[in-house]
Amino acid sequence: MRILIVEDDPHTATFIAKGLTEDGHTVDQADNGRDGLFLATTESYDAIVLDRMLPAVDGLTVLRTLRGAGNATPVLVLTALGDVDHRVEGLRAGADDYLVKPFAYAELSARIDSLLRRRQSASTETTELRVGDLELNLLTREARRAGRTIELQPREFRLLEYLMRQAERVVTRTMLLEAVWDYHFDPQTNVIDVHISRLRQKIDRHHPKPLLHTVRGAGYRLGVRE
Amino acid sequence: MARVTASACVNRLIGALTARSTSARLALAIAGLFLLFYLLLGAGLYYAVSQIFAQDLHEVIRLDSADLVELYRESGYAGLRTEVAERTAAPDDDNAVYELIGPRGQLVAGEFASLPEAARRGDGWVEFDEHNEDGFVRVVAKLQKLDGGSLLLTGRRSRNQERFEALVRRTSWFALLAAAGLGGLIGWITARWVARRLESTYDITRRVGAGELALRIPEDDSDDSFDRLAKRINAMLDRIQELLDGVRHATDHIAHDLRTPLTRLRNRLEDMRDRHFTADQFALELEAATAETDQLLATFGALLRLTRIEAQTAHADDPEFALEPVVLDAAELYAPIASERDIVLDAQTSPCKLRGDADQLFQLVANLLDNALKYAASGTRVSLSLFDDGEAVHLIVGDHGAGIPVSDRERVFDRFVRLEEHRGSVGSGLGLSLVRAIAHRHGGTISLEDNSPGLRARVRLPHAAG
Repeated sequence: MRILIVEDDPHTATFIAKGLTEDGHTVDQADNGRDGLFLATTESYDAIVLDRMLPAVDGLTVLRTLRGAGNATPVLVLTALGDVDHRVEGLRAGADDYLVKPFAYAELSARIDSLLRRRQSASTETTELRVGDLELNLLTREARRAGRTIELQPREFRLLEYLMRQAERVVTRTMLLEAVWDYHFDPQTNVIDVHISRLRQKIDRHHPKPLLHTVRGAGYRLGVRE
Repeated sequence: MARVTASACVNRLIGALTARSTSARLALAIAGLFLLFYLLLGAGLYYAVSQIFAQDLHEVIRLDSADLVELYRESGYAGLRTEVAERTAAPDDDNAVYELIGPRGQLVAGEFASLPEAARRGDGWVEFDEHNEDGFVRVVAKLQKLDGGSLLLTGRRSRNQERFEALVRRTSWFALLAAAGLGGLIGWITARWVARRLESTYDITRRVGAGELALRIPEDDSDDSFDRLAKRINAMLDRIQELLDGVRHATDHIAHDLRTPLTRLRNRLEDMRDRHFTADQFALELEAATAETDQLLATFGALLRLTRIEAQTAHADDPEFALEPVVLDAAELYAPIASERDIVLDAQTSPCKLRGDADQLFQLVANLLDNALKYAASGTRVSLSLFDDGEAVHLIVGDHGAGIPVSDRERVFDRFVRLEEHRGSVGSGLGLSLVRAIAHRHGGTISLEDNSPGLRARVRLPHAAG
């Protein structure tokens, strides 16, 4: 996948570029808004990582200009401003996701994957998700593993659905809170862990091969890969 | 040299007159008022004394005239004529004036060489000027008609009154000068007094502005406007000092609470550099260092968030939202933790509407639940209730844990304050600070109560109207 990074801090830019390259992406970089806008409009990218505060042309202006020109490339906005109002403003300007600095690379990587995945699957609306021998029917709202029905609470269903849509990708705790609970807040303790362990009980118990993995220092991954 | 001084004086005077200096204007106003008051008083006094003199004169003349008329009745025209001639020749009173005028206006007996114009008018009171060697003298006289068309003029030269008036006029000029001088002096003293009192206020506020925050304006307890102003300003300075102390206190805490984990992190990194760890140990240490960093970042983020929320205020145009689903979502999020610790989480809610930020309210409920579940004893019940009592929305979270002593119930809201017995447990010490900031930002309050046993946190929030 081809990704554009627009970030004025060279250290952060290199850090992100190195990580994304290691993840197998092709990366272009711009260190100011004007160059970023130029590259974004003249080249074709699968995703853009855009810093909010940039020299020359500010990040949100770049974003508005892109969206105004009909460019629908998924954009992840990076910012040191983490307030709800700022986030709402960013999303309104056309951002697909919003990440507050400082962040762990795992968080950025997971979110980029999610953006790329969302773009691919947007066209194909599915009614059934499948990961290994785990099936989730979105119409009947039934979950089965190896043919055996699993009883799920509504929230557990949404949690599992999100994990299965992001199958084989790392999903962070913050992403889960935002996607499954739909609140932006700082949990004081890892409340998510308890929900995950309950879900794990339901889908992995009685099965020799676990599907729900904990990725240390990052979050969780649902998939058949060990 | 003298010329320079004089011109400097003039310049200062012009300066004082034109300057927009309150004290100069005050001095001028006082001097002016003083002068005006003096002039009114003098004029009034002059008028009153003149009146008394005039009345006395008239009375003397009336009596004298009546005397002569009586004589005329008893002794006839000839007797009167002799009396007038005698009185004119040898007057008892130098100022007395008599004249007997015949029916055709001829002078029969008396002072005058010719009849004054005013005396031709017939009877009644007349006043005219008499010309003599000293100049003019004012004469006041009464004309009395006698039988047969004759007229009797009885009058007095008003020499005393004129002397008095001249004296008054002369002294008036001196008094006026004295009054102007005195008025100016009083004005100047008053203005200087005001200026000096304002000067100290001005000076102190300037120095406080420059950074000498401990200075206060001297109060004299006279309770006049200046004293009250001084007290007001001092109270304001006290409040500023208090806020600054609060900030300093918070900064010290922040410095301490961030420095401690940073030091730990640094020690760990040093260990990793200097000691010979196996690959597994190294990985573990690295993991721990990363976790430490994450904790620091989380604390830092929470601090920033807290500061931002504290700077926000409730607005009438904040979006309205239903609080009940938010509270139930938070309860649902924490339910697994509760059951893991064998605690019954009992939520009793009813629909409530609120204006503000749903994410922040979720954070508030989450923090309260987090605390309650952290400190509640295993096997007990944590209750969460939400209701609108018609005046405000009440959100109450109660646990049956160790509770918080009354003396600490205010303190726990401060940044990084963690009671000694909880120092070891997980948490940033910002949870309750954030709860209070969110409650305040929504125009509400929070209080901690005894749940006998345990702690009950009660949040009161103004409900959305309608």
